Amino acid sequence: MSDRHQNLAIIGHVDHGKSTLVGRLLYETGSVPEHVIEQHKEEAEEKGKGGFEFAYVMDNLAEERERGVTIDIAHQEFSTDEYEFTIVDCPGHRDFVKNMITGASQADNAVLVVAADDGVAPQTREHVFLARTLGIGELIVGVNKMDLVDYNEADYEQVVSEVEDLLKQVRFGTEDASFIPISAFEGDNVAEASENTDWYDGDILLEALNDLPEPEPPTDAPLRLPIQDVYTIDGIGTVPVGRVETGILNVGDNVSFQPSDVGGEVKTVEMHHEEVPKADPGDNVGFNVRGIGKDDIRRGDVCGPADDPPTVAETFQAQVVVMQHPSVITAGYTPVFHAHTAQVACTIESIDQKIDPSSGEVAEENPDFIQNGDAAVVTIRPQKPLSIEPSGEIPELGSFAIRDMGQTIAAGKVLDVNER
Amino acid sequence: MGKVAAKIKVMPNSPDVDLDALQERLEGSLPEGAKINGVERDDVAFGLVALFPTVIVPDDTGGTEAVEEAFSNVDDVESVSVENVGRI
Ligand SMILES: Nc1nc2c(ncn2[C@@H]2O[C@H](COP(=O)(O)OP(=O)(O)OP(=O)(O)O)[C@@H](O)[C@H]2O)c(=O)[nH]1
Ligand SMILES: [Mg+2]
Repeated sequence: MSDRHQNLAIIGHVDHGKSTLVGRLLYETGSVPEHVIEQHKEEAEEKGKGGFEFAYVMDNLAEERERGVTIDIAHQEFSTDEYEFTIVDCPGHRDFVKNMITGASQADNAVLVVAADDGVAPQTREHVFLARTLGIGELIVGVNKMDLVDYNEADYEQVVSEVEDLLKQVRFGTEDASFIPISAFEGDNVAEASENTDWYDGDILLEALNDLPEPEPPTDAPLRLPIQDVYTIDGIGTVPVGRVETGILNVGDNVSFQPSDVGGEVKTVEMHHEEVPKADPGDNVGFNVRGIGKDDIRRGDVCGPADDPPTVAETFQAQVVVMQHPSVITAGYTPVFHAHTAQVACTIESIDQKIDPSSGEVAEENPDFIQNGDAAVVTIRPQKPLSIEPSGEIPELGSFAIRDMGQTIAAGKVLDVNER
Repeated sequence: MGKVAAKIKVMPNSPDVDLDALQERLEGSLPEGAKINGVERDDVAFGLVALFPTVIVPDDTGGTEAVEEAFSNVDDVESVSVENVGRI
């Protein structure tokens, strides 16, 4: 057991083996309850199958957890000598992308599962883009179902090259990706090096997981605390509530709220109903600032240091990927952008570049339109003041989901902000 | 397609809201196909308590939008936001 923590996202196309891999990892690390395994071994034997299906085990565990008292059923846990892992099996549907962008951070690094017999498929692309937008540090690519291609090296290399192309398209550094031929079903290269892949001498999956860098909370970045709600509390006054995304909020700090453009000194900070001297990234707090009235600030404002205030965009340039749009997107289009706690209508003022999927290079300057599956660089003008940051500087405040017609149609990350 | 668990944060509009009654109203407002799996409470600050219902929705119909909208229209709710989502 380790007290170091690692949040891991499992991503990949439908049926490529995500659940099976999670099951295999839980099993190999002794995290599946014994009775569940016994029950399944019995059932498998009755049905005359030798191996038992981890996918079924996972379904069964899910049902059990749904019925039981487990509160956090969206996550699974297992431990190695190096880390305590919390894993999230990412939803497939595009409409959950907004939640993953505006919600609490759930993943530091990710495992991408790609079936060797199928290669890169639509949801592989979407999930890789999502990982990039969410600021995932490292990507471990498990080329799965190697048993179905007779552990053939050429098939493996083919998938590796397809994934590398995809990473280039979304500009995810390939040096931050590693590739491992695995079979989640048979267990090859998950917890033990496989004899079936003697042509491969890299890390097995558990080694790669143990070697992931330890996540560091973004305490060195300037304070950014998006405001979720603003209350008036008897005897206290105005109380903004929100989650610290980066930096530290200290009592006595001189803070600024943007874009409302007001500020003052932090008088008190409370967390879990207790007064605290400071709050760190991830903390949900309510606080009180001298001289700020209820109507001075609102949801969507970001609180930061007065001497390094949150950036307010006149326009900003961003990289977007179109996920689902019934027709084409042209300049002038004005959907709603969801970024941290803000929801603001923004106009796509110009489509600057379309990115070539195979090289990641610019395929076309100033294209007339973009459509489903396209990655592009666009310039965006918020219709109301919006605080947002370049993702290269403060990734936690640098991504957004674009929604229209009740759907999440695209997601993106901010490259550059032209300040107001 | 599997099911998705979404942990949703519901903030009441004051510290004086009766949380048991609010929880019942939330349960009563759920759209077809969604189900509450459990509700946690978390003390926030200055007497404000957040409710965290974990809502289970199918992955294929997509999204938590209908649930978010239903919760937003419940009396005494100040705001609704989705903390995290994951396949169960
Ligand atoms: N032969 C073989 N089959 C596998 C392997 N991994 C998964 N499978 C099978 O592929 C099918 C899909 O596996 P799942 O683990 O359910 O895939 P998934 O990615 O979780 O699928 P969704 O949750 O529907 O997106 C199941 O029948 C698995 O038994 C593997 O390494 N080899
Ligand atoms: Mg699955």
